[in-house]
Amino acid sequence: MSVKSDSKDSRGKNAGGRGAADSAANGGDKASEGGDDGAGLKSESNTVAAAIDRRRRRAEEEFAHELAELERRDDRKRPPRWRLSPRAVASYLMGEKLENGFIVTPKYIGNRRLIEIAIATLATDRALLLLGVPGTAKSRVSEHLAAAISGDSTLLVQGTAGTSEESIRYGWNYALLLAEGPSPRAIVSSPILRAMTEGKITRVEELTRIPADVQDSLITILSENTLPVPELGIEIPAAKGFNVIATANNKDKGVNELSSALKRRFNTVVLPTPATEEEEVEIVRSRVESLGRALELPAEPAGIDEIRRVVAVFRELREGVTSDGKTKLKQPTGTMSTAEAISVLNHGLSLAGHFGDGVLRAGDVAAGLVGAIVKDPVQDRVVWLEYLETVVKERDGWKDMYRACRNVTS
Amino acid sequence: MGISEDESTNDGDDRGRDPAGESEVFVLGVRHHGPGSARSVVRALEAIEPDSVLIEGPPDADSLIPLAADPAMKPPVALLVYRVDRPRSAAFYPFAEFSPEWRAIVFALERGVPVRFMDSPLSARGFDDDDSDEKPNVSAPDNESENPDVQESQEHENKESIKIRRVARIDPLQELALAAGYDDGEAWWEDVVEHRRDGFDRFESIVEAMAEIRSAFADRSDDPDERIREASMRKIIRSEQSEGRRRIAVVCGAWHAPALVPSAWPGAKDDAAALKRLRKIKTAATWIPWTHGRLTRASGYGAGIASPGWYEHLWTAPDRVVDRWMAKTARLLRTEGLEAPTASVIDAVRLADAVAALRGKSPPGLDELVEATRAVFCFNNDIPLRLIHKKLIVGETIGGVPGTTPRAPLREDFERLRKKLRLVASPDLTVRTLDLRDANDLERSRFLHRLALMGIDWGSLTYANTKGTFKEAWELAWRPEFEIDLIEAGAWGSTIVDAATAKACDLAERASDLPKLAELVDRAIVADLAAAVEPIMKRFEDKAAVVGDVDQLMNALPPLANLARYGDVRGSDFRLIAHATDAMIARIGVNLPPACLALDDDAATATVEAIVKADAAIRLIDKPEHVHIWTDALLKIVDAERTHRKVSGRCCRILFDARSIEALDLERRMSLDVSTTVEPDRAAAWIEGFFKGNGDLLYYDDSLFAIVDDWLGSISEESFINLAPILRRTFADLDAPLRRNLGEKARELSDSRRDDGSKRTASRRTGEATSGRAEDDRDRNAFDASRAALVAPLVARLLGLEYIGNEESIENKKVKE
Repeated sequence: MSVKSDSKDSRGKNAGGRGAADSAANGGDKASEGGDDGAGLKSESNTVAAAIDRRRRRAEEEFAHELAELERRDDRKRPPRWRLSPRAVASYLMGEKLENGFIVTPKYIGNRRLIEIAIATLATDRALLLLGVPGTAKSRVSEHLAAAISGDSTLLVQGTAGTSEESIRYGWNYALLLAEGPSPRAIVSSPILRAMTEGKITRVEELTRIPADVQDSLITILSENTLPVPELGIEIPAAKGFNVIATANNKDKGVNELSSALKRRFNTVVLPTPATEEEEVEIVRSRVESLGRALELPAEPAGIDEIRRVVAVFRELREGVTSDGKTKLKQPTGTMSTAEAISVLNHGLSLAGHFGDGVLRAGDVAAGLVGAIVKDPVQDRVVWLEYLETVVKERDGWKDMYRACRNVTS
Repeated sequence: MGISEDESTNDGDDRGRDPAGESEVFVLGVRHHGPGSARSVVRALEAIEPDSVLIEGPPDADSLIPLAADPAMKPPVALLVYRVDRPRSAAFYPFAEFSPEWRAIVFALERGVPVRFMDSPLSARGFDDDDSDEKPNVSAPDNESENPDVQESQEHENKESIKIRRVARIDPLQELALAAGYDDGEAWWEDVVEHRRDGFDRFESIVEAMAEIRSAFADRSDDPDERIREASMRKIIRSEQSEGRRRIAVVCGAWHAPALVPSAWPGAKDDAAALKRLRKIKTAATWIPWTHGRLTRASGYGAGIASPGWYEHLWTAPDRVVDRWMAKTARLLRTEGLEAPTASVIDAVRLADAVAALRGKSPPGLDELVEATRAVFCFNNDIPLRLIHKKLIVGETIGGVPGTTPRAPLREDFERLRKKLRLVASPDLTVRTLDLRDANDLERSRFLHRLALMGIDWGSLTYANTKGTFKEAWELAWRPEFEIDLIEAGAWGSTIVDAATAKACDLAERASDLPKLAELVDRAIVADLAAAVEPIMKRFEDKAAVVGDVDQLMNALPPLANLARYGDVRGSDFRLIAHATDAMIARIGVNLPPACLALDDDAATATVEAIVKADAAIRLIDKPEHVHIWTDALLKIVDAERTHRKVSGRCCRILFDARSIEALDLERRMSLDVSTTVEPDRAAAWIEGFFKGNGDLLYYDDSLFAIVDDWLGSISEESFINLAPILRRTFADLDAPLRRNLGEKARELSDSRRDDGSKRTASRRTGEATSGRAEDDRDRNAFDASRAALVAPLVARLLGLEYIGNEESIENKKVKE
């Protein structure tokens, strides 16, 4: 989730292109968000991706050197068709300094045990369901898991209310169908079907947004590990190494609750919001830095103090109590996720770079901050003003922040 | 000297010999309550075939060891050692089925090998809380497996200040674990020792590792307490040697192991010097039942373990530990109505195995099992995990001790009564409803009330869901610390009755105000402590005679009134009470009217409450002379001009409800007190006092309703408008359904008096005031009849009525809507 929301927010601010160095090896694009992709899209996106300078590189490209190094060093047993052993996958996600001094950067900052459970799940024949409120790095974790295990994070079904059965199972190439009648050649594979035949990890984003009857077509795949094609009287078996990572949002879970039959096919890992302020500051810092680099923002990297302040505001409003635990606060309607904090800072950096003196200041952050908090013009505004007047105003060293926020909150 | 299995199987091993070369000492360093340690201890003992077993524990309790072999002895149990002169100073030594020490005791007793405890006696060492506080101290053989010196005094149910003694020392196991690449000492020991089912001995390496640690943490090994304890241990080993024992097995916490290996012993003289000048306190010891919950660290037990239930499982499961645990988990979830199919059990076991493999552990530990359970069974819901933690990981087992355990007389009496009354001391919360007409139930009730008076809240009274005074519902939950409470209560007397009586009298001496004393009388009577009632009542009357605060008198009345009225259900003597209530009511009669003058608002509210309570109490006792005094007093109050209006209003109401004043009189008073010339504040206060919190009667009592109705009708339009806010404020406190009922009642009255113009207005006003919908009403009154007539036929058709066509029916319809 984090990945998506920051790119959304900073859309349009950075049209500039960097050298085409990173477009060397390109598979499909993560931007196949519509979920209506068939086999045809892959080749199409290949050409598209080769032509343009990608805004964000896929995990397996961005961290190709790390994956390669881990693969070279990895002498543990690997499950069939896994690029890395489970232990090395955990190291890839959590970061580690290898014996030869090579540093693997952390992709997920948080509880290692959760990630271990997730990886162990994928090594068994149960599928993995990542739950969490928006902005808890569910998509990011699933992307990196797929990248580390299968070397391919592109087999993605984006769950929406309009996701159809074809995008879970298969569709037909109607021209061929009419010309030749039903034949294996006329089948247009879904990402899941492709993952099954290739023995890879496939990802289903926002599982609970998919209509219940479409969700149910996952049951056969997960329990039988085959996909029957009744039209041809055949069934397509899943190769070893196939598994599914689904993500779902547990804040608005009422959309399409999972049936208990489907629930039973998944092991659940709930990704929490960052446990401590330090952890969250670290997440925000590293993400802001790497995104800033990717988006080529002209500003200097955000100062740790500014990050700390933004994180403090987000944490306090999310938890409804000040960090010293003394004052109760009203909570805004938004989720106040870490991902939003990151995008607020990126927004600020871009303002500072293009319109300011290149140093991130309270004034640059303020507009983004207010926008992130005040989602409902009536309720949230009250919450925000109260927070501003009772907490921000009183806090030592936050004078500039208060003034800046007051200015944008008319 | 440590020992490993292969070395000890024959006599060829000469290590561990003391300098004299006569006997061998085998030191088995363990973690308290570790099943892995327990298993290896048993194997080691089988191999050693000792002729003497020494166990870290208080020598004060040596005589109690043989009881462990009694078939009725069911761990978890604890040794309780306490000061005879001050039982609050007590120390517990808990043992579980899977404690290595317990296994060693059982082993020795089964084979007839002499077994004794080895430590500095508590009679010499004293208790940690000597001279400081008076709470029981769950001290333990200090535990090497975690923070070894955190001893937390038991949090007691009376919530006195909790004293925690924390010595900032480093946990030796934590250091070893860090060296081994673990984050957590507990987890490391789990993996290295507790989960080893092969039982291959590692006592020797434990001694070595601990020796390393001890040299690194010289602070702690130099601690004077520690030195004395270890010197005492060695002294006891020496005395065993001098008695000619040849193979001595020593079971102690791993920390002490290096100090007890004979080759590391200092000279006997040094030890003797260290043990000089020790105090002598008289102590007594007994076995008491313990619970798994109390074995956890969360309960404040310093050497506690996180997961007694899991350890028990490790100890009892013959094989396939993981599968059995998951099956247990699933069974528990199913009994709680949660989904846990067998297929999921299989998945969970596989996941646990996979995670354990990923972490380089085998087999999976509790962490892996819990995490797998969460991922497979819990979806997005932590409640099942909490359940599993409570029922499986900690467990709810409670131990039992044989009847032959020596006990203090009071404890003995308690046990006798408990058995006689067939009450089970279980830690689970159970609800028991007693029918006080039944002799046995009555006895039970008295027993529980007596315990409660002594501060032993085994049972707490809840509301029985039947009306009537002959039923009592108790929630029973036994806590092991009641054992100490019982021992402590021994100071008050040697039977439950005596002790409770003495305690009640003592409480009465200390009670500061009348309501407390009255409550105490009540408690003494329900506990059937005849001998206590008299002194308490005496004290009560003494206090009542000098008390200047009439509110206190009135507040003390209800408990006594209850007794005076219902005391005979219990067959208690309540003449004393009757005497006291007579006197109290007389005093109230004299003191109340002046006390109601010149009150501020808060005081008036308190007085009104007290008056209402006292009124109920007096009606309950229902003696004509009381009622007479009370009525007189109330009349004086309402007649006095300077009485607070709220009090006045309430008293008027009470008087009218009892029909002590006439309807006409009430109406007059009402107009007088709430007329336009009266300041609005005062009028409001009066109305509030009159109506507040008591609307039902207004609805059901037609004559009261009529008076209010008439009064409202009689006041002028202008003053009605002035009063409306006050009235609405008062009625706003009533329940919505009641408000509606009142409104409807007013409307009906209005309809039935249609011909009488003035009355009609009055009822309508009542309706307005009560329904809080004055505007609607006014709108309704203002409707244009001719225009309404146009739609009336249609409305009638919609409602399926026959349209008669006159104005009356239209209005009726509108009203019905």
